[in-house]
Amino acid sequence: MTIEPPTTTGALARLGFSSTDRVHRFLAEPVLAALGSRGPARLGATADGDDAVLGLLRLAESAHESGQSALMDDFLASVGTPGSHGERLIRLLGTSVALGDFLARHPERLESLREGDDQLTLPAARVREMLLAAVDADPSAELPVAGAGAREMRDALRIAYHERLVQIAAADVMAPSPTALQPQVSAAISDLADAALDAAAAIARAAVDGHEKVRWAVMAMGKTGARELNFISDVDVMHVVAPAQDVAPGEPADEEELVVIGSALARELARACSDRTSEGSLWQVDANLRPEGKDGPLVRTIDSYAHYYEQWAKSWEFQALLKARAAAGDTELGARFEELVEPWIWQASTRDSFVEDTRAMRRRVVAHIPRGEVDRNIKLGPGGLRDVEFTVQLLQMVHGRTDDRLQSRSTLEALARLGEGGYISRDHVVEMDDAYRFLRCVEHRLQLHRLRRTQVLPTSGADLRRLARTMGLSRDEFDRQYSRTRRRVRQLHEEIFYRPLLVTSSQLSDGQIALTPESAKARLAAIGYRDGARALSHISALTGGISRRAKIQRQLLPAMLEWFADGIDPDMGLLAFRRISDEIGSEHWYLGLLRDSGLAAKRLTRVLSASRFVGEQLEKIPGAVRWLARDEHLRPLPRDVLGREFLAVISRVDSVEVAQDVLRRTRRRELLRIALAHLTGVATPREVARALTDLAEAVLEAGLLVAFHVVALEREVVDEDTETLDEVDVVDVGTAKRLRERRSDPARALGVEMAILAMGSFGAREMGYSSDADVQFLALDRGAGGATGEIAIAVATQTQRILNAPAAGADMKVSADLRPEGKMGPLARSIEAWTTYYRRDAQTWEKQALLRARPVVASEAVAAGLREEMDRHRYPSGGLDASARREITRMKARVESERLPRNAEPSRHVKLGRGGMTDVEWSAQILALDHGHEIEGLRTTSTMDQLEAAAEAELITGREARELTKAWDLAWQVRRCLFLWKGREGDVLPSDRNELRALAWLIDGDDCTASDLEERYLRRTRRARIIAERLIFGTEE
Amino acid sequence: MEHLHDDVIRTVSDRDVRFIRLWFCDIAGTLKSIAISPSDLEAAFTEGIGIDGSTIEGLTRSYESDMILRPDPGTFELLSWRGEANATGRMMCDVLTPDGEPAASDPRRVLREALSRAEEKGLEFYAHPEIEFYLFEQPYRQGEKLRPIDSAGYFDHVHRGQGQDFRRTAIQHLEAMNIQVEFSHHENGPGQNEIDLRYADALTTADNIVTLRTVVKEVALSMGQVATFMPKPMIDQPGSGMHTHLSMFQGGKNAFHEPGAEYGLSRIGRQFIAGLLRHAPEYSAVTNQWVNSYKRLWGAQEAPSYICWGHNNRSALVRVPFHKPTKGTSSRVEFRGLDSSANPYLAFAALLAAGMAGIEGEYELPEGAEDAVWDLSERERRAMGIEPLPTDLFRALENFESSELMAATLGEQVFEFFLRDKKQEWDRYREQVTDHELASTFSRV
Repeated sequence: MTIEPPTTTGALARLGFSSTDRVHRFLAEPVLAALGSRGPARLGATADGDDAVLGLLRLAESAHESGQSALMDDFLASVGTPGSHGERLIRLLGTSVALGDFLARHPERLESLREGDDQLTLPAARVREMLLAAVDADPSAELPVAGAGAREMRDALRIAYHERLVQIAAADVMAPSPTALQPQVSAAISDLADAALDAAAAIARAAVDGHEKVRWAVMAMGKTGARELNFISDVDVMHVVAPAQDVAPGEPADEEELVVIGSALARELARACSDRTSEGSLWQVDANLRPEGKDGPLVRTIDSYAHYYEQWAKSWEFQALLKARAAAGDTELGARFEELVEPWIWQASTRDSFVEDTRAMRRRVVAHIPRGEVDRNIKLGPGGLRDVEFTVQLLQMVHGRTDDRLQSRSTLEALARLGEGGYISRDHVVEMDDAYRFLRCVEHRLQLHRLRRTQVLPTSGADLRRLARTMGLSRDEFDRQYSRTRRRVRQLHEEIFYRPLLVTSSQLSDGQIALTPESAKARLAAIGYRDGARALSHISALTGGISRRAKIQRQLLPAMLEWFADGIDPDMGLLAFRRISDEIGSEHWYLGLLRDSGLAAKRLTRVLSASRFVGEQLEKIPGAVRWLARDEHLRPLPRDVLGREFLAVISRVDSVEVAQDVLRRTRRRELLRIALAHLTGVATPREVARALTDLAEAVLEAGLLVAFHVVALEREVVDEDTETLDEVDVVDVGTAKRLRERRSDPARALGVEMAILAMGSFGAREMGYSSDADVQFLALDRGAGGATGEIAIAVATQTQRILNAPAAGADMKVSADLRPEGKMGPLARSIEAWTTYYRRDAQTWEKQALLRARPVVASEAVAAGLREEMDRHRYPSGGLDASARREITRMKARVESERLPRNAEPSRHVKLGRGGMTDVEWSAQILALDHGHEIEGLRTTSTMDQLEAAAEAELITGREARELTKAWDLAWQVRRCLFLWKGREGDVLPSDRNELRALAWLIDGDDCTASDLEERYLRRTRRARIIAERLIFGTEE
Repeated sequence: MEHLHDDVIRTVSDRDVRFIRLWFCDIAGTLKSIAISPSDLEAAFTEGIGIDGSTIEGLTRSYESDMILRPDPGTFELLSWRGEANATGRMMCDVLTPDGEPAASDPRRVLREALSRAEEKGLEFYAHPEIEFYLFEQPYRQGEKLRPIDSAGYFDHVHRGQGQDFRRTAIQHLEAMNIQVEFSHHENGPGQNEIDLRYADALTTADNIVTLRTVVKEVALSMGQVATFMPKPMIDQPGSGMHTHLSMFQGGKNAFHEPGAEYGLSRIGRQFIAGLLRHAPEYSAVTNQWVNSYKRLWGAQEAPSYICWGHNNRSALVRVPFHKPTKGTSSRVEFRGLDSSANPYLAFAALLAAGMAGIEGEYELPEGAEDAVWDLSERERRAMGIEPLPTDLFRALENFESSELMAATLGEQVFEFFLRDKKQEWDRYREQVTDHELASTFSRV
């Protein structure tokens, strides 16, 4: 049966063409007359029929003009025959416009497609001969030198290169299964690149005088080195030189001359490859992987490389050396370089910096992709080629040290060996291999079209259709396979690297692998676990057995192991996680939450590996894990809500002990919430300080009410609660008011009203996790008459008893030491006595302390009265007089020499040290004392607000305010983060490197170092000190 | 794989080396040394040698005393004055914290970091020092007059002079240690000598300077003399300084050179000088770190007491010497303020940072001074905008203390230690009752 040529555009459309009118016209051109009747159908079946027809027409016209009509017609006639040279041609034209252009320029080169090389069996040596011959160099010469005429030689190199590339591309597009042939295609391209480097070296020699004095090897790196090059890509190289031993005339070159000549050769080689001529260019030659990168010398001797690697190199550089291969030039010298670097590659994973470098690399990769391209980037996006390579290389580096079978440059080969060695299960090897080949094929086909160096999937429908068709898939099939592959690669890293750590040999099911304990420990060490053996025992405890918990944790743990490793202390994190799981692992919600909320699981790993305090508290209050799933649960409760909560928990108080207990538990819960918000970044440091202060206020208010109740009972002015207060199920807006009202009964019965003045950091709303709550207790006679003082003292004493019960860890301490007459004075005073004291007896420092005083528990009227009275003392009209200023200055000087602990280094003491918190606070206070009466902004208890107001009023410059603020903020963070990290607050910037690094991580995030933080702290506080000295001691610059 | 390490280990066994001295410096620039035996060499390379840093001033905080010395194998040399038999070798060391980070307080680290900041801009820093010192017949003893070994002057040839023997021997030893000597001669003062080292990168030069100071002292001792690098040992004789020629290279070319420009000095060169001048009061405490340094700076005799530059001006702080027009590589600036007793690591770091500040801030170079600044009146100098260097260590420290540039260059920890240490030195000096006071005041009142 013969098939008639399609005569209508409709028929062409059915064959797969798009611009049918044009195709119809083209097919009728006389130069295509030799195309058989099956031709159009075969053309339509190529990846892009329109491109194929246009390419064919241009090629035929060009052939006709250059007298190659017979050759062309021969190809045209065979187009309809499956497997023929004609089919080879049109498939190529339908895939690659760029190579079609090349053939149109050189129709005589069609000949190379006649036999083709469909299995890509042409030996590398033969390719090298072809390219060297093309530039008139003798392939058998020891130092092949290209012929004269730099421009002609460059053109000749380009033509010969693309002729071979046409053959390789044709084999690729003819392959029945593109993924099966992919490794051969990559290897053939790499052989061609090697040959091109040799030919370019011959061209370089022709251009550089004295080249014979230098032995020169070109090392291929990266994908070229691994022989997995794609169609168009930078070719990474490094150059090695050595003096030629027996050069006929003259002395052998000295090192300087070597470098001069070698560099000239290297530059010429790069130009021979990358310069754009009328024949286009090959690719960029990239020598930036060399020691010192762009700034380093272009060539080095073996000794010089050795020196560098010994002294300076970073672990990623050794990882790069994994791919180094002698590609062109002096093969013996190249082999020496390979030998030189080999031992380093396999020791890299034992270097101190390996873990850090690997982490940094993982972050860099993701960070550098433009947002919109993340999923379309075949190479760098999550689940892309880089992820496959990263997984394979990491395993190679970790296990290759002890198992030399793994020492292979090629990704697929290494993958296979990892499978054979039992480091990756067979199933995973197959999946990873498939994914890699698929992604590489997509990359190849994408690049072939115009020979552009792209790794990003196109967005236009037509481009995607062509891409899908080159893979033999429909658009939909392609989309599905692409997304499935990406998703799978992402999971595979986890499953391949981490999952085997979970499996002990006894649980082995089919397709699973067991690592030896040594291999497992090496893996854990490579990602930052210090005690591999213990980590393994935690893992097996968490995942052993048949419980639902073990089952779910087996699913979760691989990812969590990686997240722990990204934190500060993976070992601590894993241990804490095990403890929490032991505590609540059987709770339904817990496992469900971790399984369903990636966010919660990830946050849990972060907080556990960053904070001993949180680890311990979560063990006691495991329910708090629940908050991690949602920001609104983590956000610290506002003051009014806290008030309701605390009033609600004391709705039924039978004894002091019970009150103590519920208050402490509730406070701990909220403290934990604040710490979690701090660690997850839900609350800023300033918000944390504010939240801690709110919490102290609420606790104090509740404590005072309970104290009233207890005292009233003791004095028998009220009865035991006969009817309990409302059981509070729903805490709503009205609750606080109602409860406050009810709870005030005892106070009314006692005839005493009390007010509490918050002092110090409590008053300033700048509290830390373990700050004391400094207060003063004040009383008003509401009917108690002469007993007011006695009752007030009883209530204050009771309040302290309730809240200061045997303190542990983060428990709050209520201290009234800042009251008039200090510890000698009565614990509570009537407002009249208090007023008299401040007007008559108060010392300057006591008035200064009022700057941070704030009524926290008081009726509105009393609070207003207190503020007014305090303002007289803290913002004296007319400012600070000379004697008061002198007194403050002397006091500060004394504090500096006496309060600083012995042995403490002043520059590192966060609170009292040089430029520390006290310096900044006193600076602000002096300004407020002096100018508070005239500048309203200064009349605040907040240090930072005072500084801002002072800058606004131009009492200090904006820069000074910023320096002081920065120093104070950093000091605050050091103290609070030390608490999170160690579980107790510290006042000294640690000198232990581990502690410093942990602090740096908590304050600055992942990309920080201990010495950066140390240097920054010392610098900021030094600057703050200079300003503080001027403000406090009046020393002018 | 540890190619350079192996070289050292091989040499040690070939030459029958009995001890290897590990050298490093404290903040003042005093050389510290500990000796190890050849059997400890491998461990020294791989793990480093632990030392108790608290015994060395400024090296550690008192409560954190463990430090690691890591020898730099590229600096291995035999100490030739120790003789061929039972030879002794030496290596310069970097000081590390126990977790392997460079110790903040290691002066070599300070210079390395300053150099690498310049290298990030593609600039390499070279130095060529002219080191002056005195030879005396015996060490200083209170109440006794110092006796120089001769009474010759500048360039004088002293027949069979001890000084000449001395220089010949010292140079032999230096060259045996691979330190190239360019030039050496008798200086102005009696017993005063000068040795000029060949230019090299700043780190090598600093290593060479501390080595030279040791060699000179050892040779002097072996000849029954005493050498001192003290800035101004005798009131009526010139002080000992270290004029240093500084140059920068960019991509293998002299970055200070521009053919056809005035004095062949490029824009970068002019900015570098401007930086040296603007920051001179701030770094003066580093380049001239002793109370005694300021007696040299303010004791006339060509000392550069004023902050200015000139072409052929022997009283300027910075001089741009003549150079052969064909030799582009020799463009350089001569900094005349350094003491030969400075800590060369810190001093070079400070000068480089000042120059880099000039380049990065694109400072304008003020007009050069061609007159001898000493001869001008105070008013003339003020009219020309020429400021004096600090007149004593106290003022130098005041300027130093408020310098962000110095804090950033030395690092906060060295900065603070240096300040504290030098303030103590000043305080101790201020307590003294000197001969001069006694002589001038005792009988008058």
